[in-house]
Amino acid sequence: MTPWLVVGLPALAAVLGVAVRRDDRLAGAVAVGAAAVTLLLAGIAWGLAGRPTTVSPGPRLRAGELLVPLDLLSDPTRAALATVVVLVALAVQVYSTWYLATDDRYGQFAATVSLFTSAMLLVVHSGDLLLTVVGWEVMGWCSYLLVGHWSRRPSARRAALKAFLVTRVADIGFVLGVVGLAAGAGTTSLAAVLAAWDRPDACVDAALADGSTVGAALTACEAPDARVRALLLVLLVIGVLGKSAQVPFQDWLADAMEGPTPASALIHAATMVAAGTVVLASVYPVFADSPTARWFLGLAVSVTMLLGALLAFAQSDLKRMLAWSTVSQVAVMLAGVAAAPAEAGPDAGLFHLWAHALFKSLLFLAVGWAALAAGGTLAVALRGAAGAAPVLRVAFAAGFLSLAGVPLVVGGQSKEHVLATVWDGAVAVDGPGLLVLVALVLTSAVTAAYSTRGYLVLTVHTRQRPSAGRVPVAVTVVLWLLVGLSVLGGLVVVTGAFRLAPISLLWLLLTTLVVGVGVAVALRGGLDRDPADVLARRLVPVADRGLGADALYRRLVARPVLRLARVVAFVDTEVVDAYVRGSAVATRATGWAGERLHRGERPSAGVGLVLGAVVVLGGLGVVLWS
Amino acid sequence: MVVSLLLALPAAAGLWLVSGGRALGVRPARLLTAVTAALTLGLAVAVVVLGAEVDRPWLPELGVRWSFGVDGVSTPLLLLTAGIGLLVALHAWVEVPAGGSPATFLGCLLVVEAGALATFAARDAVLFLVAFEVVLVPMWVLVGRYGDPHDPRARTEAAQRFVLYTAVGSTTMLLGILLLVASAGTADLRALAGGAGLGTGVQLGVAVLLVVGLAVKVPVVPLHTWLPPAHTTAPTAGSVLLAAVLLKMGTYGLVRLPVASVPEGFGVLAPGFAVAGAVGVVWGGLVCLVERDLKRLVAYSSVAHMGFVVLALAAGSQTGLQAALYGNVAHGVVSALLFVLVGGLKHRWGDVDLAVPRPALRETSPRLGFVLVLGLAASLGLPGLAGFWGEVLAVYAAWAPADDRPRVVLVVCAVVAAVGAALAAAYSLRVAGIVWVGDRPDPDVARTPDTSGMERWILAALALAVVVLGVAPMLVMSVTADAVAGVVGAR
Repeated sequence: MTPWLVVGLPALAAVLGVAVRRDDRLAGAVAVGAAAVTLLLAGIAWGLAGRPTTVSPGPRLRAGELLVPLDLLSDPTRAALATVVVLVALAVQVYSTWYLATDDRYGQFAATVSLFTSAMLLVVHSGDLLLTVVGWEVMGWCSYLLVGHWSRRPSARRAALKAFLVTRVADIGFVLGVVGLAAGAGTTSLAAVLAAWDRPDACVDAALADGSTVGAALTACEAPDARVRALLLVLLVIGVLGKSAQVPFQDWLADAMEGPTPASALIHAATMVAAGTVVLASVYPVFADSPTARWFLGLAVSVTMLLGALLAFAQSDLKRMLAWSTVSQVAVMLAGVAAAPAEAGPDAGLFHLWAHALFKSLLFLAVGWAALAAGGTLAVALRGAAGAAPVLRVAFAAGFLSLAGVPLVVGGQSKEHVLATVWDGAVAVDGPGLLVLVALVLTSAVTAAYSTRGYLVLTVHTRQRPSAGRVPVAVTVVLWLLVGLSVLGGLVVVTGAFRLAPISLLWLLLTTLVVGVGVAVALRGGLDRDPADVLARRLVPVADRGLGADALYRRLVARPVLRLARVVAFVDTEVVDAYVRGSAVATRATGWAGERLHRGERPSAGVGLVLGAVVVLGGLGVVLWS
Repeated sequence: MVVSLLLALPAAAGLWLVSGGRALGVRPARLLTAVTAALTLGLAVAVVVLGAEVDRPWLPELGVRWSFGVDGVSTPLLLLTAGIGLLVALHAWVEVPAGGSPATFLGCLLVVEAGALATFAARDAVLFLVAFEVVLVPMWVLVGRYGDPHDPRARTEAAQRFVLYTAVGSTTMLLGILLLVASAGTADLRALAGGAGLGTGVQLGVAVLLVVGLAVKVPVVPLHTWLPPAHTTAPTAGSVLLAAVLLKMGTYGLVRLPVASVPEGFGVLAPGFAVAGAVGVVWGGLVCLVERDLKRLVAYSSVAHMGFVVLALAAGSQTGLQAALYGNVAHGVVSALLFVLVGGLKHRWGDVDLAVPRPALRETSPRLGFVLVLGLAASLGLPGLAGFWGEVLAVYAAWAPADDRPRVVLVVCAVVAAVGAALAAAYSLRVAGIVWVGDRPDPDVARTPDTSGMERWILAALALAVVVLGVAPMLVMSVTADAVAGVVGAR
């Protein structure tokens, strides 16, 4: 079963969806139907997938010396990730038929979601770096359209622009990294790139055993230049930091909450922000060899995960709280890549991606429903909004349990695996393991605290019965399904889709302890008060502004670039073009002078001629004589 | 025979329209133009499929032969020209600018097309030059007489600047071609390919003259200042021809003459040329960030896109040449789309000043808005649309240039060009933010009429081409591959 089918079907649905966008029912049927069939196909593909990784040949593009095979790869890990992506996409599509039922641009929205899904599936299955770039950039574009879906609102327009520009600036690094890695291999094929940049360990060890120096051994084995490799990987990581909203690019994601809630669920849960983990996992064999790149990533994610968690705790808007929690949780995924020991592989991070996709989509869809019932996403407005439907109470309980990382539910399981892997990495010393470990433990506690806060505000606090009107059964079913998966999704480990080492019960105890501390701190003000008011009242206004990063972006990037642009535009018309205008003036002046000369009286013209001849002859004489 | 017919048909019809048929009314004139353009497209396809060629003595005293034919390098451009020629002819149903007889206008379009076709099919350097020059006069008429009716003085100035500037470039190129032909003893481009045994000194001299001359046409920063006024002033059909066909003659000439004929000389100039290309990418992008006139903005974005092409050419590898040829075709389609669209907006609004608030296209005219966003997305290099492959491969080519190029200079250029790609996103979304999206329109304010009729079909055809080229870049690359290997391998 070829992954091209899984990738192609949503793309086809997007094209078809644009064609029928004026008819909401038809557009909805196309979108939901395609997502359902794709889910079925992805499930079958997962069942059939085996190791080693199989290659599905692409159309092969030959661009001079560079070979671009455009292959897709499939193995159980990729198939599992693809399945969860399509699952979330299906949930989002079903949910938006209700959520956006009265929206006059529902058709475009559904088609864009289909395209977004296809792009993410492309990144998951990509066996070619250029194909990864294709999926990567298409996702960025779709995020622009989805975040700016309600384009009649200035804030949505601004958020869409910001989301695209921030990620695109980071993509300068991504594209250069891909180009550089491909240049080392002469092809963009992932396997060939990995082979070309891999450190030939066996050969080097043999040469060292024979008594040659390290330098001589590396030269003899034609090892790739480690500094160049580190530079390229750092460039690649910069792109990942941008798309995954990690420091210093973190600020676009919270603003992206201006998009409709289903779009946020899709962007946050299974696509876009998580794509960076997939990409780094696919180049992991080379990435693992480069301590520089590991440190760079490890430093960024350590700062991000703690910062994101703290900002999440102090948000006055619960949807933005979920956004900052995504920033923090994606950092946890990336931590599983940055600090894992080379032999462990990136699968702990990928498992966390799987878990996060399930519980974060659940939380977003549930918050969207609650916000419709309560009439806003502010924590004050949302108090007790879970009373709108029984499923919401369960959904928030399951979602926040998972987010907090309570053992046995899927989010807890994956976090334990990340912790255990990072511990192994910290013990192995070479890399940022220790730093990441400390950040991870602190983050886990803060995460438990803000999860408690979210649950308290939404569920425990009571109010008069809120109602979101009639909600279709399908939406309720989708939420129940996600509730089930957010609890039991961890069973995926028995399929062997993620290669995880068994972990000891000690980790279970440790996470319980850390989560307990977080919950206890959050509950200090009692059950009736918002923990953010109790613990972080002063921080709330600052956190709502994202620590003022927006102003920083404007001051450091936007304004200088615009200033430079004005200078360039001025130079263009007043300096570069001045020569052109000058030549016209000079020609006219020469013409006028010539005319005057010819009109002038004979004696003066004759004198001029004689003078000219003297100058020419004199000059010639000097040249010839010397 | 087919080749001669391909060139003679639009030339004859065009010349008749500007002379004998000058008094013809709009309806018969545009019908004649459209039929001619459609037949020309058919003939172009036939020439490509049959591999037709013609080769006979023309001016034996000068050793110049009447030699036309196509190969992989010229095929995509020949088809692009014929296709754009047809769309431009059909555009007469949308708008025939005032300023003179409609027949003359349409005749000039056909003559430009004939000249461009001859340029791409010429296999003789002198013939190439003649065809290259043929285009100038009708284009001058198009800009100077049929251009923007609001400002006659700016129109005259833009037309004169266009003619004089590009004529200076052509003269420089003429000197280069004469030097080349005189030293090599032949004007046959096939025989000239690979250096024709010229010494390095002569090669360098020829290369300087050719590169400077052709750079005006491309245009390469800092020789680009004729382009924005010409584009802003020209009627829609003229802008489309200018961007989609005339600029391509410059890059095509660069591939045929300096790159293929004097590779060693070009190699010496390549680093500087690459720098000019990379600077062009950033320069054009930055100006677009603050430019107020949408048509000028699209013109400056052309400068940026051609910067990628120039950079790819300078890299000297097969990948670079492929990227340049692909980028050429892609820019032809994308800029044609944007100019048809922006020309249509100017027709509706009277001007395209971005500082004037107008109802958002997404609200009032969704079809127009959709195409605009597609064009902008292609312009910012979104994968799946035409712009992407040429630009990403250009960056690759600069990162991994041919062995005889200075690696460091080109890698720096690659980085600069990648930064320029982010600028493209910024200015494209700036335009989208001003023109495409906006508040719910005031019901009292006049709505922008949506596209319909012929304009809709033209936009649909161009949009389809943008998508097809983006999804299946092999269509162009497989055609150019062998010829590119020939050009680079001959060194």
